[in-house]
Amino acid sequence: MKFSRRDLLIGSAGATAGLLLTPVPWKLLGDVSIWTQNWPWIPQPARGPVETKQSFCTLCDGGCGVRVRMAAGYPVGIAGIKNHPITKGALCPLAFAAHQLNWHPQRLREVRHRGRAASWGEAQAAFEKACGEGPVAVIDGRSGRAASSVLEAFARKQNGSYHVVLGAESEGLAPYADWSGVPVAALGYDLENARTVVSFGAPMLDGWGTPGRFTRLWSERAAGAADPQLRLIQVDSSLSRTAALAWKWVSIREGSETELAAGVARVLLEEHLVSSHGPMPQLSLAEVAAQTSLTTEAIRDLARNMVENRPVMVIAADGNPAVAALNVLLGAVAAPGGIGKRGEHLQPRAPSEASIGSPRALLLDSTVPWEFVPETAAEVFRFAAWDGGGNKADWLLPAPGFLEELTDVLTAPTSAVETYAVAMNLAAPAAEVKSAAQFLLQIDPTLPVVEKVIQARCEELFRIRQGTVYGEQPVAVTKFESAQKLEEQLRKGAVWMDDPRRLGGFRCELKKWPSGNAVSRGTNWDTAWAPPALPALATKLYQESNLREPPAGRKA
Amino acid sequence: MSARYGMVIDLDRCTGCGACMVACAAENNVPPAPPRATPRTGLTPMLVHKVTNGMEGTARREVFIPVTCMQCGDETPCVSVCPQQAVQVDKATGIVMQMPQRCLGCRYCMVACPYHARYFNWWDPAWPAGMEKSLNPGVAVRMRGVVEKCNLCHARLHSAKEKAAAAGRKELDPADYIPACLEACPTGAILFGNLADENDAVFSVAHSPDAFRLLARLGTEPKVYYKSGQAWVKALAEHHSERAKESKHV
Repeated sequence: MKFSRRDLLIGSAGATAGLLLTPVPWKLLGDVSIWTQNWPWIPQPARGPVETKQSFCTLCDGGCGVRVRMAAGYPVGIAGIKNHPITKGALCPLAFAAHQLNWHPQRLREVRHRGRAASWGEAQAAFEKACGEGPVAVIDGRSGRAASSVLEAFARKQNGSYHVVLGAESEGLAPYADWSGVPVAALGYDLENARTVVSFGAPMLDGWGTPGRFTRLWSERAAGAADPQLRLIQVDSSLSRTAALAWKWVSIREGSETELAAGVARVLLEEHLVSSHGPMPQLSLAEVAAQTSLTTEAIRDLARNMVENRPVMVIAADGNPAVAALNVLLGAVAAPGGIGKRGEHLQPRAPSEASIGSPRALLLDSTVPWEFVPETAAEVFRFAAWDGGGNKADWLLPAPGFLEELTDVLTAPTSAVETYAVAMNLAAPAAEVKSAAQFLLQIDPTLPVVEKVIQARCEELFRIRQGTVYGEQPVAVTKFESAQKLEEQLRKGAVWMDDPRRLGGFRCELKKWPSGNAVSRGTNWDTAWAPPALPALATKLYQESNLREPPAGRKA
Repeated sequence: MSARYGMVIDLDRCTGCGACMVACAAENNVPPAPPRATPRTGLTPMLVHKVTNGMEGTARREVFIPVTCMQCGDETPCVSVCPQQAVQVDKATGIVMQMPQRCLGCRYCMVACPYHARYFNWWDPAWPAGMEKSLNPGVAVRMRGVVEKCNLCHARLHSAKEKAAAAGRKELDPADYIPACLEACPTGAILFGNLADENDAVFSVAHSPDAFRLLARLGTEPKVYYKSGQAWVKALAEHHSERAKESKHV
């Protein structure tokens, strides 16, 4: 039989038509679509034992409790701790992806000396040599920690100096510290008892203070209510997120907060809306109106609103003494619902020294904000977990990242009640890292050891028999059998909180109405905390939604 | 008894912090967005929109609207258009299920969804070196070339079912099944539960006078409700497409 070209074409067409009637091509199409989506190089989650642990976020000084889901020894999920007495399960958006930060491309994985790779041995030799040649200055971002005692002890032994960088929220309390003599670190806002909060530009609902503390209060007592239990009045030059959600938004000309505070004070005194007597501001109401772009009636309304629903507290975005003086006038200092002084059972924080002088070496702890670049000719040894770029430090030393370091967590700067917690090193470090305290301990083994300091602090808590430990259930310290049991609970993620205390015990007096825009504080540096690197999923907030502007100089 | 899982989002409590979006992405192994990703091409099963009342000066107001899959009822637009049966409504839970293994990526469902709650996966899932160790082992990574949406944290539903079965219970403990967005919300703006259970808190809030649903006139019977005491916010629900012009990403 002859097989012609015609037969070939007929056979091919028939085979093609027949094949199309079978499920084979459709099955192949589906399979190819699946195969091309599942290449061997597509990452797969780690397999291993799954467990849940509790610890504390140390990315900022808020000290939020975190429930950490671990798989194969690595954190794979973060959630808040509902039983935490301050945060009550709330976290900031970044915390939910913080466990990915340890693998961030900007993670410091090796010692760098002026941009070149170096070893820990070289860094240690260089630091020891510098210490031998002149004084050393140590800068800490969160004083009072167990690690801080190591840094401070080293500075003292070397006849050097120890300094602290304060956050912006602490700066808001600086005027009261100046007027009363109480250290900033012992002052806080008694938000829970306030019924009116007047914010002069502070982002109360957008990351101010410990995440969740004020937003939770606002949500429970104010959100959506026409006559809320908690009135939030926001003074802002633009419609900020807080202004948009506040009970009242007072729109003023940018930078006229000082003048508005003077105008409000004048109304409070002239209309006898406050019982205390204070110095009358020099500015007239008409002058205030002209400078703030408000009407005189609007200023009067604001003053009346402030006293309608007491206790009232005024919160400044910075250390503006005129805004702070309003609290003195309103009797909101050392009073419930105002500025309070908390206990200092555990961490008498070291006062910062006035000037770093001219040290031979400068050591910056990893808690010092990345933006803080001291003007100095000293050789700079900077510890950091992430490289924020553009750094002038001579030595960049890789520090432990998120949940990679055992550290204690002290009271948040805005809190009116003292707390203490221990953040465990749950994750294995992603690189060879050392904290500044570990580094100094290698140089001088006689320094205090962090574990021992934490142990001593737990013993102190047990000794004073005060406060409550919030774990799965709240347990009074008096119920604990021993200091070891208490420490065991804290290491499992419980938090100790002091008993409620009377908020008196100090006094602020105004001799004249403050006119300056900022309080002069030679002993500390004002800086806003910002992480040098954002979690990778932060793109959801500024790239894949219209919620926020992209952060300047930050990469997710 | 069949459940109808749904949620009520209190818009007066939402501060637009975005914690729900980040927590959702972390829970569901959504990869970081490539530099060229936009709000439309990115993968955001939960997306919070900022919307204003259109006024200027001190009369201007803002509201944040978290938009996710509305978990429509029987008249689910995405189910009816899918040529692959990759979308189904689970009769036992009311959850609109998306099966990426069946999806061909034709994106008919994206066109059909009136809420813009579906996203096409344009890119292979990729993380910086080592970051794959931080992935949730309970959820697969997101496949390229398929359509994605919120499935009400289905992995958590499975875990809750397993826990109930291990304890010899037929019914789930509501405390065991909490979607990641709800868990993350710092103001408690999201309420989740069984809309078919009159004793569930979500039932009474969903039937309160301030509750409403987006584009209710379309008859898709969403199981995601919103709540607000502000009239202009409620008005957004039926004028979504007009308001969308103001919010560049809606």
